Amino acid sequence: MEYSFFTQLLLDNGVPRQILELLVAITLLATLVSIARYIFGFKTYGVYAPIILAISYSYSGLRYGLVVTAVVIITTLISYSIIKRIRMHYITRIAMNYCLLSISLVLLFLIVGRYGLGLENMSNIPPLAVISIAALSDFFIKQYVGKSLKTTTLVLGSTILIAIIGWYLITRQNVSNFMINNLWIVPSLIFVNLLIGQFKGLRIKDLLRFNSILAEKENVPK
Amino acid sequence: MSLSNEYKKILGLNRRNQEYIRPYNPPSAKNIADNKILTKKVLAREGIKTPQIYKVIRNKKQLAFLDWASLPKSFVIKPNKGTGGNGIIVFFGKKKKETAWIRPSGEIMSKRDIILHIENILEGRFSMGSKSDVAIIEERVKTDPLLKQYSYRGVPDIRVICFNSVPIMAMTRLPTKRSNGTANLHSGAICTGIDIATGITTYSMQMNPRALFSDTYENIDSTTDLKVNKKLSGIQIPYWDEILRIALVCQRASNLGYIGVDIALDRENGPVVFELNARPGLGIQVANRTGLRWRLEKVEDLEIKSIKHGIRVAKNLFGGEVEESIEAISGRKVVNINEKIYLYHSDSKDSEKPKREPFTSFMDTGVLTSRVSKNVASRLGFLSTVKFFNSLDIPKKFDSLKEAQEYIDKNIENLTKDEKILRIAKTIEEDKVVIRPVVVITTKISGDIKDIEMIITDNMPYPLALGRADLKGYLIDTSKTFK
Repeated sequence: MEYSFFTQLLLDNGVPRQILELLVAITLLATLVSIARYIFGFKTYGVYAPIILAISYSYSGLRYGLVVTAVVIITTLISYSIIKRIRMHYITRIAMNYCLLSISLVLLFLIVGRYGLGLENMSNIPPLAVISIAALSDFFIKQYVGKSLKTTTLVLGSTILIAIIGWYLITRQNVSNFMINNLWIVPSLIFVNLLIGQFKGLRIKDLLRFNSILAEKENVPK
Repeated sequence: MSLSNEYKKILGLNRRNQEYIRPYNPPSAKNIADNKILTKKVLAREGIKTPQIYKVIRNKKQLAFLDWASLPKSFVIKPNKGTGGNGIIVFFGKKKKETAWIRPSGEIMSKRDIILHIENILEGRFSMGSKSDVAIIEERVKTDPLLKQYSYRGVPDIRVICFNSVPIMAMTRLPTKRSNGTANLHSGAICTGIDIATGITTYSMQMNPRALFSDTYENIDSTTDLKVNKKLSGIQIPYWDEILRIALVCQRASNLGYIGVDIALDRENGPVVFELNARPGLGIQVANRTGLRWRLEKVEDLEIKSIKHGIRVAKNLFGGEVEESIEAISGRKVVNINEKIYLYHSDSKDSEKPKREPFTSFMDTGVLTSRVSKNVASRLGFLSTVKFFNSLDIPKKFDSLKEAQEYIDKNIENLTKDEKILRIAKTIEEDKVVIRPVVVITTKISGDIKDIEMIITDNMPYPLALGRADLKGYLIDTSKTFK
C-alpha cells in the first residue's frame, strides 16, 4: 500500500502502522462521543468506555463483541442485584461481581464451544478485547449505585450505540485508508472539537425535553 | 411569535454550562455548595436557618465511638458531598426498646444496617468522583402542614433559581409514591411552577415514566397518590417574600452567580435552607412553562442595589404566570383594574391598517354600559357626533328615568340622526338623570378585539371605563389599584 509522504515518514521513523491507525481512530471516536453528547445529548460512560468498546468490537467482530457485552451486562445486573442485598463493603461487592463475571464468561466459552450457537470463532477473539468489554461492568455498577436502573440502562444503551457507530466508521477500509493518508484530519478534529466546545445551542435531547413548553406556546391564542 | 423565537427563550444544558455556570460560579463558590457542612457554616453567618447538625462522622473510628443513645427519634443521615439526593436516609421514629430506627416506608434499619450505610458514605459511594466523604447526622425537617397535604411521606421543597441578585424562577417539588417520598424529579416527584410575583403555584408536571430517550414530562393538575388528591394550582406558598429574600442572601453568601437554592418549610422554624446547588437542573422551565434564557438575559446587565431591589425587579419582570394559569384553568383572562386597552378610530376600522390609540381604562363593575369621555370620543372620529348631540335642544336633566325614557321614545328620530349614534341611553351623572348618545367603538382588550357599545359622556373621573356588560369572561386583579 502506498502512503502519503508524511505518513510514510512516520512509519519509517519507528511509528508502527497499527498503533498509528489506532491513535487516529481514537481521535475520530472521541470526536464522535463529543458530537453525540453536545449536539444530540447522548450521555455515555465518559469518553473512554465508548472508545474502548468500539476498538474492542473492531478486534472481536461486532457480533462476538455484542454477545460478550450482553453476557457482561446481564451477569452484572443479576450478580449486583443479589450482592447488594448482602451486608458488605462496596469494593468487596465490586470484586465479587468481577469474580462472578469471570465465571460467566468462562461458561459462555464452554457453551459456545459445546453447542456452537453460530459463534464458532469465539475462541479466536483476542483476550484483551474480552477484558476491555468486561470493564464495562465497572462503569455500569458505578452509575447503577447512584442512579436508577432506567437511567443506567439508557446510558449503557447510548454507550453501546456510539461504540457501534464508532466500530462501523473505523472498520471501513476506505475510512481507515483515508485517515491514515490524511493525517491533517487529526488537527482538524481538534478544530471540530473546539467548535463543538463553543456550541451553546439546544441539544436534540433538550428540544424533545422542552417540547411541552413550545407546544403550550403554540396553543396560546394570538 | 415564531417557533424559532420560542426556542431562543429556552435554556439548554450547553448554554447553561458555558454562559452561566462557568463564568459566574467560581470553583471556590462551587466548593461551598458541594460541601453541606461548609454551606451550613457560611449560611449561619448570614443568619439563615439550616437543619441542625447532630453528629459529623469523619472516619470509622468516630463511627465506632458514636453515642447512639444520644440520637433523637427522628433524624437524617446524608453524605457531606453527595449528589442528586443519593445516600440520604430519613428516619421517622425509633423502635421501642431496640437500637433500630423506622424509615418513612416503614422499613426498620438496625444499628448494624446504619453503620454499614455510614461506612458506604465514608468510602465515597454516594459522593462526587467517589472520593472518601464525611457522614452527617442532622435534624429532620418537619414539613409545614400546608405543603404536607400535597406530599407523599417525604419533605417537599421549594427551589428558587437566582442570577445577578434577582430571583429568576421558582418551583416546588412534591414527593410522590413513585418517587418513594423523595423530592427528586427524576424519581417521579411532582414539580409545580410558582409565580414569582405572588408565590402562587401555577402548572404542574411529572416526569413521564415511559419516556425513553429524553426526560419528558406530562401535565397533571392534582396530586396522584394521596388518600384525598388535591388540586395543585393556586396554592399560596407561605412565607413567599421571605423565601425570595433567603434565596438572594444565599446567593450573596456563597458567591454563586447562578444558583439554585433548595428551601424546605419547617413546621416550627419556617423556611430552612436544605442545600445550595451550583448546577441547578433545567426541569424548572417545564414546571413554569417558560424558558429561563430570556429571563436570565433580561437581568444580566441590571445593576441590582439591594436584595429588596432584586425581589422588586423579579416581581415586575417575571410575575404574571399565575394570570396565565388562571386563564388556562378557568378560560378567563385576568385584567388589571386599570388596564391599557386600544381604541380604534371609527373612520379607519375597515382599512387595511386601522388607526388605534392606547388608553388606560378603568374596569368599572358599578355600571352596566361602558363609557367614554367626549374628548376621547372626539379623538376617535366621533367629533361630529359629539357636536351634533351638543347642538340638540335637550333638557339638561330629567326628574326620573321614566321621564327620560319617554323623552327618548318621543324624539328618537331626531336624537339618532347622526349615523354613528346607535341608540340613546339614559344615565345618572352627579345625581342627575341625563340622556347620552351610544356609539360603537372597536377595542382591543388583553389581546381580544371586539366592538363595544359606549356612552359618550361628560364628567367622568376616567376618560374611559368598561362596564359589566363588556367584562364578561374577565377576572379583575385589584392588586395594582394603588401604585
